[in-house]
Amino acid sequence: MKYLDCFQFLAGRRNGQLVVTSAGNSAQAWWKATHDTEATFYLEASMSLSSMFAAGLAMAQPQLKVWAFVGDGAFCMNPGMLMVERQMDLPNLTHFLVSNRAYGATSNAALPNLQQNDYAAIARGMGLERVFAFDSMAALQQGFDAAVSANAGHTFVVLEVEPFSDAEQRLEQPPFDGPELKYRFGRHLEQLTGSDVFGYRL
Amino acid sequence: MADAKQEIAQRLLDELSQCGIKLIASLPDNWVMDVIGAAARDRRFVHVPVNREESAIGLCAGAYMGAMGSAALMGASGFMTVIYAITKINYSYEIPLLLLMTLRGAIGDHHKHHASNGLYLQPVLQAIDMPYQIIERPQEIGMISRVYRQSRTVARPMAVLLSRDLLRGEVRP
Repeated sequence: MKYLDCFQFLAGRRNGQLVVTSAGNSAQAWWKATHDTEATFYLEASMSLSSMFAAGLAMAQPQLKVWAFVGDGAFCMNPGMLMVERQMDLPNLTHFLVSNRAYGATSNAALPNLQQNDYAAIARGMGLERVFAFDSMAALQQGFDAAVSANAGHTFVVLEVEPFSDAEQRLEQPPFDGPELKYRFGRHLEQLTGSDVFGYRL
Repeated sequence: MADAKQEIAQRLLDELSQCGIKLIASLPDNWVMDVIGAAARDRRFVHVPVNREESAIGLCAGAYMGAMGSAALMGASGFMTVIYAITKINYSYEIPLLLLMTLRGAIGDHHKHHASNGLYLQPVLQAIDMPYQIIERPQEIGMISRVYRQSRTVARPMAVLLSRDLLRGEVRP
């Protein structure tokens, strides 16, 4: 399925979830779909840590729901993240693995073993139980509620998408410096929950 | 000596609890096994054993953004693998972090394979301008709270380096 169509659909089905994006394409696609300036943490270039970041957030705020986007390039760098996620078993965390079979942020350079990687099987092999995979918009539309809206526990969703085209690679990046993003997101969370993120409330 | 090691582990955890820390993300090093074991049993904390040190950096950063205090606990060798994660996440977004690690390679460490840590651990910390505090004696454990608070004040990661003799309970107040 088309990367941007997939993210546009997800944005439309979002219902208050906090979102953490991975490097490059997922941040571009989510920014294009939402222009979210407060409830999304665009974690640029973490090289595989967006789902761990999201897990920390989800653990800290169990009453909130958190979506994490991880590219399969990042996933290849740290598949053991799923061992940690399985062990934590956070019911409010949904991990979307965005599989474009390329290092999208790096000119779509090829992934190792790109044709054979079966991310859903890897997840099941690490003991994850709620594992879903969608390779078309029709399948995603049909299966989204059972996979994600059901809120039935920690969930891992593989989204098989086409790599960005050359034109899509030129989509705007979320226009934030790191500290601005931190404060926007943190102040939003403080307002939402009454929590004290920074040690001094506005 | 076992009792002394466990007493030090308990004092370290008491100090972390005083800071308001709830999450401890760890990877093992033989010197901190008593601390990790005690953390896993201590209901004041959520202890998360992670798959690699970088995951601890991501996990603690997310917990911070969720208003939960946290600490990453690891060996010096593990720290040497997380320079990118710390500089990219904690420095770029100005997210504080308390990182506890072993002072491997220092005098008294008889493991030859830690010679590199003896040579490069502190120079690497200095190279990335990451402030650190060495703790070698039980009466210095109170410095951990000060490091934690300072990390949050300056919105930067800071490290505490724990010596062999401290962790093995071989120094007394």
